[in-house]
Amino acid sequence: MEMSLFLVQLLNGIQYGLLLFLVASGLTLVFGVMGILNLAHGSMYMIGAYLVYYFAAMTDSFWLAVVIACSIAMVIGVIIERFLIVHLYKRDHLDQVLLTVGLIFIFNAAQSFIWGNDPLGVDVPELLSSSIQITDIVEYPVYRLFLSVLCVGIAIGMYYVINNTKLGMMIRAGESNREMVENLGVNIGTLFTVVFAVGVTLSALAGIVSAPVVSLVPGMGERVLISCFVVVVIGGMGSIKGAFVAALLVGIVDTFASVLLPGMSSMTIYLLMALILIFKPQGLFKS
Amino acid sequence: MSVFSSKAEKVFIFAFFFIALGIPLFFNENTFYVNKISTMLILSIFVMSLDYLVGRTGLITLGHAMFYGLGGYLFAIMIPEYEVVNFWLYTFYVMAASGVIALIVGFIVLRTSGIYMIMITLALAQMTFYFFADSTEYGGLDGLFIYLKPETSIFGLNFLDLDNENHFYYLCLLSLFNCYVFCKVSLHSRFGRVIDAIKENPERATALGYNIFHFRLVSYVLSSSLAAYAGYLFSLQYGFVNPTMMSWEVSASALVMAILGGLGTIFGAILGVFVYESLHYGIEHMTQYWMFWMGSLIILMVLLLKSGIAGLIEQLVGGKRK
Repeated sequence: MEMSLFLVQLLNGIQYGLLLFLVASGLTLVFGVMGILNLAHGSMYMIGAYLVYYFAAMTDSFWLAVVIACSIAMVIGVIIERFLIVHLYKRDHLDQVLLTVGLIFIFNAAQSFIWGNDPLGVDVPELLSSSIQITDIVEYPVYRLFLSVLCVGIAIGMYYVINNTKLGMMIRAGESNREMVENLGVNIGTLFTVVFAVGVTLSALAGIVSAPVVSLVPGMGERVLISCFVVVVIGGMGSIKGAFVAALLVGIVDTFASVLLPGMSSMTIYLLMALILIFKPQGLFKS
Repeated sequence: MSVFSSKAEKVFIFAFFFIALGIPLFFNENTFYVNKISTMLILSIFVMSLDYLVGRTGLITLGHAMFYGLGGYLFAIMIPEYEVVNFWLYTFYVMAASGVIALIVGFIVLRTSGIYMIMITLALAQMTFYFFADSTEYGGLDGLFIYLKPETSIFGLNFLDLDNENHFYYLCLLSLFNCYVFCKVSLHSRFGRVIDAIKENPERATALGYNIFHFRLVSYVLSSSLAAYAGYLFSLQYGFVNPTMMSWEVSASALVMAILGGLGTIFGAILGVFVYESLHYGIEHMTQYWMFWMGSLIILMVLLLKSGIAGLIEQLVGGKRK
């Protein structure tokens, strides 16, 4: 493989990995703090992408659409937590699976009802629509670079919030001992609502910012959810650091596999996961 | 001790099989309904195998449809294209082959439990889904066709014609009955007692000297082979297999049916399938956005109905489960 092509694939892999991290971090945060496995997490990715399509067309501004879509996602998160998830804290995994599968059904129906089943696309915002020449024939779109930078920025922001703020302290405490946090007088209900809303918003944000580089199709949420599971299983459930490392690993492996092993590409990351599980059943970073 | 866990189960099983025997006579020449009910009987086998694993062994899987699909695919791949094969022989081949696959998959999957197992089974099932969906050799998303139905002679006797809807219906009913008896007998045996103990308290079972990994693996293989058998019957009924059979929606709705019927009751699987599928057809008939109503129903069920329909019947008929 040529050096410049290799570089482009590497950049693509990192960018895909960082996007996966955005989705996976929300999933693992919600699981780590609340002990809830949200299968509808991927649906929020899909809803984010469709919302930004809708509002970008309505307002003619991609950035305004991003803000509106994010806010709506957060409101949806609060509603779901307050009215549905709140009943699940004392139930087993099975009830969580069922309820969130029910949510997937509802989101999918809503998507096909509002936007139909034909593939849709969102234009890259004008500000970032140019490309960087790497060699005479190879170029790399600025928007993809922007995506990577944004995701790294969010990762650093999360790291800061979790390690240096009061909210982060409560999140860390919630991860290690939920009952104790409650006994110490922290309003755990509010904390859970905040964490859940932030978690689903991260997923929706990933859908929102990736909307210009993917096509919007039904089922896009489930595809992301499954990749996200692979990331979380490899990285260790509940570990945000693990999710970061695993997401980059999965992103890069998946991208190179689709170039080097075209027939096998869709299976590669699962083989990677199976391999890691044989040696480390709890994932690379046990939380 | 009675084989039935409760009076409700006894009443239900006798009533169900009694009515089911008469269905083709009742619908007479109307093969549409006989076919639909055959499909429900096949699904009941699938959901029952899932209940065996989730409700009794205590292992939650979201990838059981993988074996359902594999049952069909293994058959379609193994048969010679223009030759009539023997049904019983291929039943054995399909179940044995899927058992071997389940042994390997189980070895990986059962290293984990709880939330991890849910995610890994789902991921592996999706991997298999994409393997068949992307393959050109196995027909991609269109899948494979089964042109000739197998013949069913056994020791020179041939009393079933699979092209006849009523004959096929009785084959499905017999299969479901066998599956039910197999599940009950195996759960009633010493093996079943250990499985119950492991579900109740894995640490204590380990302390008593049982290797819980081995018991779970056996249960996983049995359940997966049954699921594959159901998929094999499904592929025979419709004459094709495609990757949709192993999509995550199939696994998820099977889980919903098992819970709707009452998890761990075995006979509840039949109830769950018939109620869910009837609702599904009913709602689909009225609106193309049936998923919305199905989703709402599932959420309501989780919030309100804690022990499924079987639990409801048991409350009405009386007689607690032992």
